[in-house]
Amino acid sequence: MSIFEYNGSAVVAMGGKNCFAIASDRRLGVQLQTIATDFQRISKIHDRVFIGLSGLATDVQTLYQRLVFRHKLYQLREERDMKPETFASLVSAILYEKRFGPYLCQPVIAGLGEDDKPFICTMDSIGAKELAKDFVVSGTASESLYGACEAMYKPDMEAEELFETISQALLSSVDRDCLSGWGGHVYVVTPTEIKERILKGRMD
Amino acid sequence: MFLIGFLYLASQSVKKIIEINPYMLGTMAGGAADCQFWHRNLGIKCRLHELANKRRISVSGASKLLANMLYSYRGMGLSVGTMIAGWDETGPGLYYVDNEGGRLKGDRFSVGSGSPYAYGVLDSGYKFDMSVEEASELARRSIYHATFRDGASGGVASVYHVGPNGWTKLSGDDVGELHYHYYPVPPAIAEQVMEEAAAE
Repeated sequence: MSIFEYNGSAVVAMGGKNCFAIASDRRLGVQLQTIATDFQRISKIHDRVFIGLSGLATDVQTLYQRLVFRHKLYQLREERDMKPETFASLVSAILYEKRFGPYLCQPVIAGLGEDDKPFICTMDSIGAKELAKDFVVSGTASESLYGACEAMYKPDMEAEELFETISQALLSSVDRDCLSGWGGHVYVVTPTEIKERILKGRMD
Repeated sequence: MFLIGFLYLASQSVKKIIEINPYMLGTMAGGAADCQFWHRNLGIKCRLHELANKRRISVSGASKLLANMLYSYRGMGLSVGTMIAGWDETGPGLYYVDNEGGRLKGDRFSVGSGSPYAYGVLDSGYKFDMSVEEASELARRSIYHATFRDGASGGVASVYHVGPNGWTKLSGDDVGELHYHYYPVPPAIAEQVMEEAAAE
C-alpha cells in the first residue's frame, strides 16, 4: 500500500454560478482499520477561501497549521484577505520547498475571486497546480470521483443544485472505495453565506 | 464486500455463504474463486459419499475432506478461510478450515479481515444455550461491527440458521441501514428558529 493510501481520503470541489462547493469524506483509518469517523479534512482560510487536503493525515494537519500561520501574517502585513489565486500560489511554493522530502498531501483549493467568480484548483504533493473551471478531485477515491463528477456536473449551477450534485458524486464514489467514506462533509459558499452540512453515508 | 485489486470495491452483494447441500453451509473468506470452487468440489464429494454409503456424510467427515484437499495444495497460493456448518446424527457441527490445511472444531468462529472486530462482539455476547433469535441478533451485530471498523468488510449481513431439517436463511440486511438502526441520528434541535412576524 502506498503512503498516500495509509489513512484514506476523498476530496472534491465544484464551481457553480457565483458560488462553489467543497466536500470531503470523514474517515480516518490506519490501513484497513477505521479509527475515527469525524476527521476534518476541509478547513477555512478565510470567508472566501477553503482548502481541502487529502493524503497522509498528519501532513494534512501540519500543512493546514502552516498555511493558516502564513495567511495570518499576510493579513497583518497587507491588511486584507488573500485572493484565492494568490493562496494557491502560496501553497504551491510551500509544497515545492519540500521537493526532496515532500508533504504527502494533495490539496484542493476552492475560493471566490473578484466579482464573486468561483476559483478551484488542485495540486500534487510537490505543488504542480492544476486549474479547472468545472471540478477537481483528490484522494484514494479520485478515480471514482472523476467518473461521478464528469457524469453529474453541469456548468453554472446554483448553490442548492450544486450541493445536491457534489453530495451525490461524493457518496457514490466513496462507496466504491474501502479507504474513504463513513459520512461526508460539504461546504457550499456563496458571496453572502457559508453553509456547512454533514452527509449521512454508508458506514461500512 | 468483494474486492478486486485490493482496494476497489467490485460488488456489495456477493454471496459469501455457499450452500453445499440442503443441510450444510460453507462461508467464504480469502480468495473468492478458491472458496467457490472448493466448496462446490466438496459438495460433489459429499454426494458421492451418500451414493457410495447410502447415508449422509457427517460434518466432521465433510470438513476433513476439505481440509485434506487444501493440505495437498499447501504452499501453492490458495487462499481459503472457511467455516463448515451443518447438522448430522451427532447434532450440530461447526468446523473452521483454512488453506494451510488447518481444521478446528468449535462453538463459535469468526474469519476474515474483519474477524477481530467480530470476535469482540461475539465473545462478549455468546452463551451456549442462547435462543435462535438471540443468536441471530448477536451474529448480525458482530458482522455489523466488523463492517464498521474494517475497510475491507461491508455490504450485506446475511444470517442463516442450521437445524435438524437443514438450513434456512433468516435475514439479509444492508449494513448501511443497520448502522442507523443501531445508532439512529437524533434529529437536530434548532437553537433558534426564525418565525414570520405577525402582520400588523
